[in-house]
Amino acid sequence: MSSIYYYLSAFLFCLGLLGTIFKKDLISILLCLELMMGGVSLLMILMSRATGVLESQLIVFFMIIISACEVAIGLSLIIALYRKKQTIYTDDIKIITE
Amino acid sequence: MISDILLTIITMVFALMVVFSKKTVVSALALLMTLLSIAMIYFQLGTLFLAAIQVLVNAGAVAILFVFVMMLINLEQFENNREKGKVKLVISVLAVLVIMGIFALIINNNIEVLTANNIPDNSMKLLFDKLFSVYYLPFEMATVLLLAALVACIVITGHEKAHKVELEESHE
Repeated sequence: MSSIYYYLSAFLFCLGLLGTIFKKDLISILLCLELMMGGVSLLMILMSRATGVLESQLIVFFMIIISACEVAIGLSLIIALYRKKQTIYTDDIKIITE
Repeated sequence: MISDILLTIITMVFALMVVFSKKTVVSALALLMTLLSIAMIYFQLGTLFLAAIQVLVNAGAVAILFVFVMMLINLEQFENNREKGKVKLVISVLAVLVIMGIFALIINNNIEVLTANNIPDNSMKLLFDKLFSVYYLPFEMATVLLLAALVACIVITGHEKAHKVELEESHE
């Protein structure tokens, strides 16, 4: 009876996607990206359990490393942006369109 | 069966809190609880090593990093960060539920399962055999990636003094 977790991982991914699209500040967007990452890695673990292939557990291991790097660099970019523009809201950052 | 449904419900509630709460601090803490619940699901599924890594890295480091950066940035909403009584109650009840869930899982499983000799299918040993033989190069690349991320963070955030010197030179 672990099939409910498949729905949970899909739910987490969709919820994270929703938040990534509709949130307005950059920190919340990063939080929602982490949520999506959690959903995907949960699905990977479930696949590893269903098929018996150990490689997908290793993929989750590397995904955790990569997501840690992503969060660290993203947050440092946010800090650099805040120093320059004094804002973290996406509406205030229109460097490309201006 | 019941623990599966309970864990799913707890994870869903916290995930909804991440997206729909107005305050960023609340969503960061809700993300922490979501990651802890996902770690409990890993534990339930028998992948003990990844559960431990999830707690250590994702819940322990990443979620705290978010809170730390929020402190540095000093958002406007931090001025009134006193939660209303109801929200506080709900959050604390859910946190207590999660911690009780951890204890229930540990008690429900036989303690023998938790000892290193009786890991289901010896999966951790197989995992590390693969990690340090076939996938040795990706593992080393991951360490290099972590080092590169460290250097990148320092370069991105810590060159204010150099930038100021450049500005002064350009003014002169």
